[in-house]
Amino acid sequence: MKMKDSLFKLWVLLSGSIVTAVAAGIFLYLFFKGFAVISPEFILGSPRGIPLGTEGGIFPAIAGSLMFGAIAGILGGALSLCTAVYLVFYCKNKKISSYILHALQCLAGIPSVVVGLFGYSFLIVGMRMPKSLLSASVTLTIMIIPFITIRIKKALEQTSEEQFIGSLSLGIPRGYTIVKLIIPSSFRYIMTSLSLGVVFAMGAAAPVMFTGAVIISGVPSSLSKPFMALPYHLYILVNEGLSVEMAYGTALVLMVIVLLINIICRLMGSFEDI
Amino acid sequence: MKEIILKTEKLCVSYGKVNILNNIDVSFEKNKITAIIGPSGCGKSTFLKSLNRTVEEYGGKISGKITLSETDIMDMPLTRVRNTIGMVFQTPVVFPFSIYKNLTYAPIYYGEKNKSKLDETVVKYLKRAGLYEEVKDNLDMNASRLSGGQQQRLVIARCLTVNPEIILLDEPCSALDIKNTAHIEKMLLELKSEYTIVIVTHNLAQAKRIADTVIYMEGGNLIEEGPADEIFNSPVDLRTKEYIDYMKN
Repeated sequence: MKMKDSLFKLWVLLSGSIVTAVAAGIFLYLFFKGFAVISPEFILGSPRGIPLGTEGGIFPAIAGSLMFGAIAGILGGALSLCTAVYLVFYCKNKKISSYILHALQCLAGIPSVVVGLFGYSFLIVGMRMPKSLLSASVTLTIMIIPFITIRIKKALEQTSEEQFIGSLSLGIPRGYTIVKLIIPSSFRYIMTSLSLGVVFAMGAAAPVMFTGAVIISGVPSSLSKPFMALPYHLYILVNEGLSVEMAYGTALVLMVIVLLINIICRLMGSFEDI
Repeated sequence: MKEIILKTEKLCVSYGKVNILNNIDVSFEKNKITAIIGPSGCGKSTFLKSLNRTVEEYGGKISGKITLSETDIMDMPLTRVRNTIGMVFQTPVVFPFSIYKNLTYAPIYYGEKNKSKLDETVVKYLKRAGLYEEVKDNLDMNASRLSGGQQQRLVIARCLTVNPEIILLDEPCSALDIKNTAHIEKMLLELKSEYTIVIVTHNLAQAKRIADTVIYMEGGNLIEEGPADEIFNSPVDLRTKEYIDYMKN
């Protein structure tokens, strides 16, 4: 029995170590491969050279990615938070609740390229919206909603039911209790869920490729303009064989942005007023 | 003459098709402590939670009549019912805020924005709960860092901030040691001059020490009610006698 227990401990320790090593390995690999091209011009400049992208920088792609990530995060975060609040605190009908959860699970299982195709056919072809920052952000919002909602729902469920009822028993209505007690209590988890959703959106190439991203553009000046996106730029650099070095640099920048967003969201969560 | 503040008539509570309480008729006298005793699962807590309609939050359905000073609570706004009939639960449920914020949470909702008045409220109710001296220098400390007994007294203080007339307590000392239990009992005896108190307890000694009136429940029915001395020394119903004798042994 002791032997079995030790083997099990060894197995879980190994699993944890492998996961950590893979994450660290990817980051270090990209760092060593991509660091050579990192320079102020690469971060702050626009793509140049013949073919385009072999020289210069990726600033429009960084700006575009941050912009559609932020918009999708705001839209997706608001919708997901409200859906999760409804599921946890308002929906008393178990059938309705299971339908909504089932719909979310189905949505979560749709491949990003199919979500992109839907965005293209519904927004661009059907509603005649231009290929733009807004079309891409809405498409990405659809993609990340189940991802964020399910996590926020779990976070809200972890908040003690007794706290919720403790507040109601003071005569305080549900709405106030949720806004002033439950959401602040779960703020850290909500921010973590949101950051995961945003970085998931920022890393997706297929949906933006169909709905708004282009090979070259400046920083978008409005929601109706097309934009450059880091994952799509990376795809073009590799797929067209333009520059593998620039592709590694782009991937490293994307990875650092993802890390920074995670850190910022965690810090925001830890500054919660409780 | 007895002044009745809260009264139930043919009160029934059910969860789905399962009846938990059957036709409970009982009156609660103003500024008295009423203890509800009975075996586990007899419906004591459900009964308590029905008195300010908290039971509805758990999916319970109330039928029959509950009158608060002659007004049917089903006709009153829920906010009014619950800030008039406050509730304290078995486990101390402090909010994950500072001690200060726990006590200003409800007053701020009810419209009090003046900082000095909020400060007064905090001091007043901490003193009333016998907690002020212990926490006066740490009002910004997260309330979850208080001991179990301190948390329960904070929860009672928080309940008082909405100026209730009645306080319902569901086994408030079950998770506390003797010292903290004594603190709470002393506080309840002091509070009864201003509030009507209804307490569910498994601790017959506690009921003896603090209650003016005792209600014995069994199987969702009210078996017997009366002055504490009579219930403990000469119960009329055999079931009450058997329960008290069993608990004594």
